Amino acid sequence: MSGRLHIALLLLALPVLGAAQTDLLAEALRKYQAGALNEARALVDEAVQEPAHQRDPEAWLLRGFILKDLYKARTGTPEGEADRDSALASLDRCLTHDQGGTYTENAAQAYDFLSKTYFNDAARALNELRPDDALALYGKYTAATDRRGAPPDRAAKDVEFHNALGTVYTKLYNQDREQLSWYDKAVATYEQVLRIDTGNYGANYNLATLYYNRGVYNIQRVGAEYDIPSLQRIQEVSREFFLQALPYMLKAFRMNPKRRETLLGLEGIYYSLQDAERSEHYRKLFEELGPEEDR
Amino acid sequence: MLLLVGPVIAAAPPQLDVEKDTTAIVQASYIYNIAKLVEWKDPGMSSGTFVIGVIGGANLYQELIKKYSTKAIGKQPIEVRKLPRSPNIDRCHILFVGQSDLALMPEIYRNLANKPTLIVTEYADALEDGAVANFVKVASTLKYELSVTNARKHKLEVALTLKQLAHRVVE
Repeated sequence: MSGRLHIALLLLALPVLGAAQTDLLAEALRKYQAGALNEARALVDEAVQEPAHQRDPEAWLLRGFILKDLYKARTGTPEGEADRDSALASLDRCLTHDQGGTYTENAAQAYDFLSKTYFNDAARALNELRPDDALALYGKYTAATDRRGAPPDRAAKDVEFHNALGTVYTKLYNQDREQLSWYDKAVATYEQVLRIDTGNYGANYNLATLYYNRGVYNIQRVGAEYDIPSLQRIQEVSREFFLQALPYMLKAFRMNPKRRETLLGLEGIYYSLQDAERSEHYRKLFEELGPEEDR
Repeated sequence: MLLLVGPVIAAAPPQLDVEKDTTAIVQASYIYNIAKLVEWKDPGMSSGTFVIGVIGGANLYQELIKKYSTKAIGKQPIEVRKLPRSPNIDRCHILFVGQSDLALMPEIYRNLANKPTLIVTEYADALEDGAVANFVKVASTLKYELSVTNARKHKLEVALTLKQLAHRVVE
């Protein structure tokens, strides 16, 4: 608990201890300060039901802090998740009712902290290849931040998150390339990024790579059981993927002409499209790059 | 109060499958299918291993080894050989010469003129020079063209299907 909050909540207990509702709130504060979080929570829940406290920013601030600490004590459990949601809702009510701004700084800091934990948990879920959890957590992050007015970096965060989400879908697809649902989700996710930021290098490159690799994989599967008509059909299907990859890889290249990965990508796409001349052109550009040139 | 700052999502970009040589994969499949759809009339070619020789085309050689070297053409097990850069070719049912070694072609055509070897290559006008099959680029895909005339010279009988599926046939 921060020092400022400590002072603010102590004030709460002083002048009106005579009233029953305030006793309840003061008792909740004492329990909270003593670290008896569950008891504090029961008391504060009861207190905010009282008409006198339903619009009392102080009561909602205390409830928000109790639930925040409960969340921290039970992080990673369903109970902890519920605590976090309730903590944010309480802090939001505090901010809404705090017309004088007495508690705004404390409430806003706690609210911001909890919002960011959603984002960090979404990132952790991505790193652990749990895209559904990541999406749910990111949804909570955006809902929480939007409730207090969309932050200025919302678009940047959306791009960052969805680029990483697309990469997770791609990884899952790469683990089993028969699972086209992951592929479809990856494509849709990168397209979503490009709708927000059409010049996003990562989304352009990643989408191109996804299409290209799909075309390569189709051809890679060809074996002794494939007759000539099948082989020709597979080439035609793969050609469409290579053609889909091309504009995105070219865009990534134009944005950053000295990235080795895009030069290799264009070399590979043109090679697979049987365009030896252009493939060779990008191979030469790749080879001409100095060892330190890869920006 | 604990402050969480900075981006925390660290996702490595997807890797390109550039090491997969799609052309070599397609060429290997064509060669295997050609082998199945041609009959070698020379009695000396109908026993022992079915030899596919490769000059140049390192990736094609690898692909043939990986996917077809345990297969057979009729009762003849396939043997894939990486041949040295030389126009002197031993017994071979199919010989592929890659783009990097086209300088050898005139001599190869001369040396194999009357031998039962199906020459496959990948350059313009190869059929006119003496190749039986030639890989060509058509609408961003790889196809093959076929010379039945040259096939006959090498005592090879080409199945109708192989002719029908070719991009061009020289009769």
